[in-house]
Amino acid sequence: MKEVKVQIIGFGFIGQSFAEVLTKRREYLKRNYNLDIKVVSISDISGTIYGDIDLIKALRTMKEKGRIVDYPNEAKVKKSSGLGIEAIENIEADLVLELTPSNIRDGEPGLSHMLAAFRNSKHVVTSNKGPLAIAFKKLKEEAEKNGVEFKFEASVGGAMPIINFAKETLAGTKIISVQGIFNGTTNYILTKMTRDNVPLDIVLKEAQEMGIAERDPSYDIDGIDTASKLVIIANAVMDIDATIKDVKIEGIRKITPELITLAKEDGYVVKLIGEVCKNKLEVSPRLVPISHPLNVGGTLNVAVFYTDIAGEVTVIGKGAGKETVSALLSDIISIYRCR
Amino acid sequence: MRISIDIELKDVPGELLRALEPIASYGGNIVSIVHLREEKKDKVPVHLIFEIDSQEKLKKILEEYEKRDISVLKIGEAKRRIVVTVGVVGHIIDTDLMDTIDRINEVEGALVEDLSLRMSDPEKESSAIFKVVLSDEEIKEKFFERLYEIAREKDLLIIKSISD
Repeated sequence: MKEVKVQIIGFGFIGQSFAEVLTKRREYLKRNYNLDIKVVSISDISGTIYGDIDLIKALRTMKEKGRIVDYPNEAKVKKSSGLGIEAIENIEADLVLELTPSNIRDGEPGLSHMLAAFRNSKHVVTSNKGPLAIAFKKLKEEAEKNGVEFKFEASVGGAMPIINFAKETLAGTKIISVQGIFNGTTNYILTKMTRDNVPLDIVLKEAQEMGIAERDPSYDIDGIDTASKLVIIANAVMDIDATIKDVKIEGIRKITPELITLAKEDGYVVKLIGEVCKNKLEVSPRLVPISHPLNVGGTLNVAVFYTDIAGEVTVIGKGAGKETVSALLSDIISIYRCR
Repeated sequence: MRISIDIELKDVPGELLRALEPIASYGGNIVSIVHLREEKKDKVPVHLIFEIDSQEKLKKILEEYEKRDISVLKIGEAKRRIVVTVGVVGHIIDTDLMDTIDRINEVEGALVEDLSLRMSDPEKESSAIFKVVLSDEEIKEKFFERLYEIAREKDLLIIKSISD
């Protein structure tokens, strides 16, 4: 049995969803993969707890108090006001699960967490796309230099397999270009506008009330989130050295219900599409034929790979939400499967 | 170049092959054959489209047809029609719609064939779908270059189709 000591940095929605799944899957992982995954520390903005952590108690603490340092006082679990960096530097572990919120301006604090993990010879599994969209090459190089793994399947398309799918399942096939919907919020908005013929601002308000869209929706509807994911695909799948500055971005703010109606009459839907090929990184609203595989509705994500041997290959899945945990889990398993 | 040709063949076995041989022997690539046998005459009209890389070779093929007693009814360059669908959002009418159409049509080989437009409110931005016919694939780049130039100038949003 291989014991894997995991540090969770960032204990918001995804972190808690992971902990919840782990409480239910621990025995399954032991039985099927010979892996005993142990969470040895959890950090959030209030500080860090470390030691023999009971995940059920940690989850209850978050639900009731909202801060991890309010974990019940007990001898086997220590508390510190130190944040993620200190935890990574000082607590013994094999793997860092970096799940802090994505920041597209400078990638922080995720970027520093990842670099600290590599310096300390710890593998990193993350859903945080900010650092990758800004400093992919540097992160990849640091991981290699320190002989550890860097896995980020959850950062693009949530539960939809894309990075590992392209690199492993399609290994040997040349990927010429990728087109896809990589943002569930804008897909929800455009799908709803198409179905109900209502303006964007009304659907957006509703999406915010339902918790599908953020209070500041610009990250989604101005195409920045899609652009970050496109950069990760460009680097990881197509070996293109790009950052978010290289992406031509146009969001969906100007899309009108009238345009959607006209498009529909002509056999098209309007979707926010990210496209990457050798000379092009672009996010823009596009006309998609109704029968095209890119026409998926609701909050779904989709990617179409245009390849030389396999032709067109399409993957569809849930792009956000607690389903993302499946990608984190498969990344962790894949690290130890080869070791 | 792509040649469209209407010929007449005798309704006996092997005639079609006799008509295709000269094209093949000069390195032509046959794109389509429409054989109108249902017209029940002693001669059968056949419509052929093929690609050939020089006028010289085309001349040789036609000479060969004459020798083989194959009559040519009509010949011309075949046009491959490409229709590009583009969405546009902005003050399409106020920024002189006629001027927009004219400037697209000025691109050689491009022609605005259809336009559907909707306005929610005269003050607000309108939306449109343009259908533009291009005489061949190579015009596409020039057409989009012109379209984006107009869009920048008139502050219009262009929504391209997924295949463009």
